[in-house]
Amino acid sequence: MADQSPQKEAFPKGSVKTYNLVEVVRGRTNMIEKGPDNTIFAFPIVAILELLIALGTGAFLVLFSLVKNAPLEDLANPLVTTDPAKAPWYFMGLQEMLEHAHPLISGIILPGVMVLFVMAIPYLDNSRVGSGRWFTSARGKKITLWTTIYTTIIMPTYIVIDNLFPPRELLRGILPDFVAQSLIPVIILAIIVLLPVAVLMRSKPNAREVMLVLFTVLFISAVIFTLSGFLFRGPGFKLYWPWDMPNGYNPLNNL
Amino acid sequence: MSILNSITKSRVWRSFFRHGWPDNPLDRSLIMTTNVFFHLHPVKVNLKSIKATYSLGLGILTVASFISLALTGIMLMFYYVPSVERAFPDIVALQNSVPFGQLFRNMHRWGAHLMVLTCVLHMARVFYTGAYKPPREFNWVIGVVLLILTLGASFTGYLLPWDQLAYWAITVGTSIASYEPVMGALIKKILLGGPEVGQASLTRFYGLHIMVIPALLFLLISLHMWRVRKDGGLAANDLDVAPAEDAQK
Repeated sequence: MADQSPQKEAFPKGSVKTYNLVEVVRGRTNMIEKGPDNTIFAFPIVAILELLIALGTGAFLVLFSLVKNAPLEDLANPLVTTDPAKAPWYFMGLQEMLEHAHPLISGIILPGVMVLFVMAIPYLDNSRVGSGRWFTSARGKKITLWTTIYTTIIMPTYIVIDNLFPPRELLRGILPDFVAQSLIPVIILAIIVLLPVAVLMRSKPNAREVMLVLFTVLFISAVIFTLSGFLFRGPGFKLYWPWDMPNGYNPLNNL
Repeated sequence: MSILNSITKSRVWRSFFRHGWPDNPLDRSLIMTTNVFFHLHPVKVNLKSIKATYSLGLGILTVASFISLALTGIMLMFYYVPSVERAFPDIVALQNSVPFGQLFRNMHRWGAHLMVLTCVLHMARVFYTGAYKPPREFNWVIGVVLLILTLGASFTGYLLPWDQLAYWAITVGTSIASYEPVMGALIKKILLGGPEVGQASLTRFYGLHIMVIPALLFLLISLHMWRVRKDGGLAANDLDVAPAEDAQK
């Protein structure tokens, strides 16, 4: 307790010291406040886990390939259009969207906005809180669950209603093409997407919770549109039950 | 044990590996830092980050399917000529008269679907665990680019069998691009090499499928995994410090 003189420098210059305090930086090092007992050497456990996953993947692929053959249809013939003509399954969400709005909107602008939005997520929500925790919090889990339920109900409903009463066709000639083909579909979709965000806004959400809603709407919608296009679209790209397709068409043969 | 010892202590072995047998902390560190394949990993991992329920192993699954696609893809290349006259008969011959040809083609097909699927699921996992948060923002962006490249790899491969399924799927797929008013027609023309799907398209898709996209995927997957380590390992490592930071905010 000899160092109590008020003039004492916190970091005195010493002739034997080879370092000096230059600046105090707010932040933390990688390992601060982490118990060393919580970490283990990555070798060999990580190598073993990775090997197991790789072997499992290989075994699964071999077994599945023994059971199911890759499809091969007749030689390509530009003169004979297949009915329905479908893109690969992962683009069927896109092809399904083409049924609901002008192609420029549904084929280019909306997918472009979606990709840009997904890329921008970390820059819109840049807090580190909750990183590494599923759904961040109990509230985040609830938000995700309700958004999933909402999207699972509203998107198939939208697809079916829009297919039965397509404003693009019904309003053709009554309203200008731009309104019927682009504006109305965009407004309907915007309402569907922004409704849960509006509900959430009443409880003062943080950026992460808004992202949870928007990403979940986007992700579940992508799944539903892909399933709809891939499984439920038959000849003439009309909606059928997958097990009740005319002309013996089986959507699973398109894999 | 003495045989093993004499092997691992020999000059030849020691010229391969610049670390001792990895049964002690020093050599378990050195194996990670001196081995080009292991150096993508951190030396130590948090127990939480290797829990199966945290990452679900989806990233590694995607890499595993990519590797199996590369291997089976090489096998398919040996028997396939990308011309409109030969492509289809080559696939038929591959299936009917090449030993294990059908099996390799099946594995390549289902592996491609698996890779797209695990890629998407991996993205969802990273999003819902908040693993895109700083300092991992840019690695998330690389991940989105990897997803697009994966779709591109699958899409370009879809044309190669040159059957009705392939022809019309690519016709439909590329017609979506042509709806873009400014660049659309040009993009479609560059992709297909002509007004419609033909020999030029097959050549271009083949080149993209076997060389350009796999090379980009290889490069970006390496970058993606290396950055996981550089950014502090899996985000589950951050859990221990999260409460302290919660208080700061």
